[in-house]
Amino acid sequence: MAEMNDIVEAVFKGKMKEIGNLVQGALDAGTEPNTILDDGLVHGMDVVAEKWKAGEVFVPEVLRSAKTMQTGMDVLKPHLVGGDRKPKATFAIGTVKGDLHDIGKNLVAMMLESVGYEVINLGVDLDPSVFVQQVEKGIQCIGMSALLTTTVTQMKLIIDSLQEAGLRDKCKIWVGGAPVTQEFADEIGADFYAVDAAHCIDQLNSVYSD
Amino acid sequence: MFKRGKLGGLDGGQYRPLTDSDIRSMHEAIVRLMSEIGIKVENPKAFELFEKKGLKTDKDKRLVYIPKGFLEDCIDAAPSELILHGRGNPDNNIIVGGKRVHYGSGGTALNVLDLETGEKRLSTLEDVQNVSKLLDYLDNAHFQVIPVYPNDLPTEKVDINRFFAAINNTNKHVQGGVYTVQGTREVVEMCSMIAGSLEKLQKEPFISFITCVISPLVIDQVYGDLLMTCAESGLPVSMPAEPLTGATGPVTIAGNVANLCAETLAGVCLAQLVNWGTPVLMACTSTSTDLRTMAYASGSVEEGLINACAAQMAQFYGLPYYGTAGQSDSKILDAQAGFEGAITNLLVGMAGGNFIHDALGLLEFCMTASYEKYVMDNEILGEVMRVLKGVRVTDETLAVDVTAEVGPGGNYIQEDHTFEHMREEHFVPTVADRQPRENWEAAGKKDTWARCHDIAVEALANHKPIPVDEEIVKAIRAKFPNFVQ
Repeated sequence: MAEMNDIVEAVFKGKMKEIGNLVQGALDAGTEPNTILDDGLVHGMDVVAEKWKAGEVFVPEVLRSAKTMQTGMDVLKPHLVGGDRKPKATFAIGTVKGDLHDIGKNLVAMMLESVGYEVINLGVDLDPSVFVQQVEKGIQCIGMSALLTTTVTQMKLIIDSLQEAGLRDKCKIWVGGAPVTQEFADEIGADFYAVDAAHCIDQLNSVYSD
Repeated sequence: MFKRGKLGGLDGGQYRPLTDSDIRSMHEAIVRLMSEIGIKVENPKAFELFEKKGLKTDKDKRLVYIPKGFLEDCIDAAPSELILHGRGNPDNNIIVGGKRVHYGSGGTALNVLDLETGEKRLSTLEDVQNVSKLLDYLDNAHFQVIPVYPNDLPTEKVDINRFFAAINNTNKHVQGGVYTVQGTREVVEMCSMIAGSLEKLQKEPFISFITCVISPLVIDQVYGDLLMTCAESGLPVSMPAEPLTGATGPVTIAGNVANLCAETLAGVCLAQLVNWGTPVLMACTSTSTDLRTMAYASGSVEEGLINACAAQMAQFYGLPYYGTAGQSDSKILDAQAGFEGAITNLLVGMAGGNFIHDALGLLEFCMTASYEKYVMDNEILGEVMRVLKGVRVTDETLAVDVTAEVGPGGNYIQEDHTFEHMREEHFVPTVADRQPRENWEAAGKKDTWARCHDIAVEALANHKPIPVDEEIVKAIRAKFPNFVQ
């Protein structure tokens, strides 16, 4: 299984130029496509995620690894029974009305994508109705972000809007951002308060464990 | 006649991370960023001002291309030196420019560590008042940037009350961020009443403003409006940008400084377009990103490097410089809070930063202020100012004649020379403990936090800045429905 280790290492080190050939080599050697996926690409990302949580890996390295994995997937996909790998869940995330801060929210979006979730990045300065529409469309994970003490109150309005539309129990709600605390999340009735992206991933994994 | 103040003002410039040739390369990069990549001006009124000036623009992309010649005109139009006044005490005036170094607080923290309980809680209007008073007391705080946010007020009441709470509790210069256009106008009007008229306030400004340019390379709707409103007032304005390495700016220090300069200079240009000759501070709040978590790292050593380089660039352009140093990401007043603040404050001061803010009091990504940390940082800044004072070498200070008198094996304790020079040669600490262990134990084994705490409590109880005249306060109260003090 030398080629599996090579694939894991290529994902871990973000070797985007080499991953395609490695995956192709494993296929040519007769390795099962699902083995390449689980023991190679996905396992590589698991190693990255673990080391990232331990503070050994930088975020740009995680993103490069995710891109490397995707490049490997492009080669592997035609050989997989059932085609594309299904995302674990879909997460719609946005910054609340009156708030233009997006870097933290974008980071959460990128990191969730890296570990296999589909993400709908809704943008910034969003009216509560935008979040309601997502739940109406069947999205079950909603993330709201705010950086300002003056806008964080919007989160309650969004939850109220979902309540009024009778959709509150159709989704799980995550809140995050500098002024948000666990206490505040409890007060407004959010399901999860994520301190950072790593925390958010842990919480999502606890809901959508394989 | 202007009386030169007693606060700060020693020359920095001993630390020069950039060589002359680096500065020229940096300038060329900045000109390319501004003239070739362009600044995205989302604010329509600001965009129109650039367009009317005949600059090349791209309307669809909202881009304005600022050419070298126009940039130079704007830099020439802005004063290279500003006198920032202290209300009611000309000794507190500071001359900002050149390589003269001043330190002060920074904002805007949303929390404080409560003075009584030591616990983190939301800051209030009373904290604005108390921190201002403490800063007025601390002799190495040369100016004040309004330090904390009054969470107990609705947004529309924040600007006027925050400024008044600060002004009324200090006789040092007050600079502050603003939140609404209406609020900014109220602040100008209120301070004109205190000064006697807008003209008097413009001539001797005891307040100034801060607005922001967004990294990378954006003048947005909200801060664009605030910047233009401040420039209209004719009062001094700092326009910091905050590229964070690897996040909103290049990961390299050089690239980050180039972006920062292009951004703040775009703000300088806009301010001049609004009001030719507006007093501005080229300004930097940039620091590094911790790429393990993408956390904003206040008080990182790279912050020191970036702000030192930016100080050199401001000296190159001949613009007064607002820089950042002194914070810590520690959550409490511990060793980390001390060493992060000390290193960055020293670096930026030694680079000749003119108006170094955030230098006192801030913890936890600038989100939490600590009364005790203001006191500890005041001591760090005292030591930094001692460094800037440098070493004077003359026959008198070399003291060979004194040593001839004392002779080998003697001592200097009772020499006139010792008596005459001891105060100017030595910084006298008030926080650092140099007692014998027995005495320290007998005095309650107080650590740095406890010693700082005692000083803060004492200052808040006894220090009395000159308040605003009660008649004027009455008039302010009558005029502004938003005024609650």
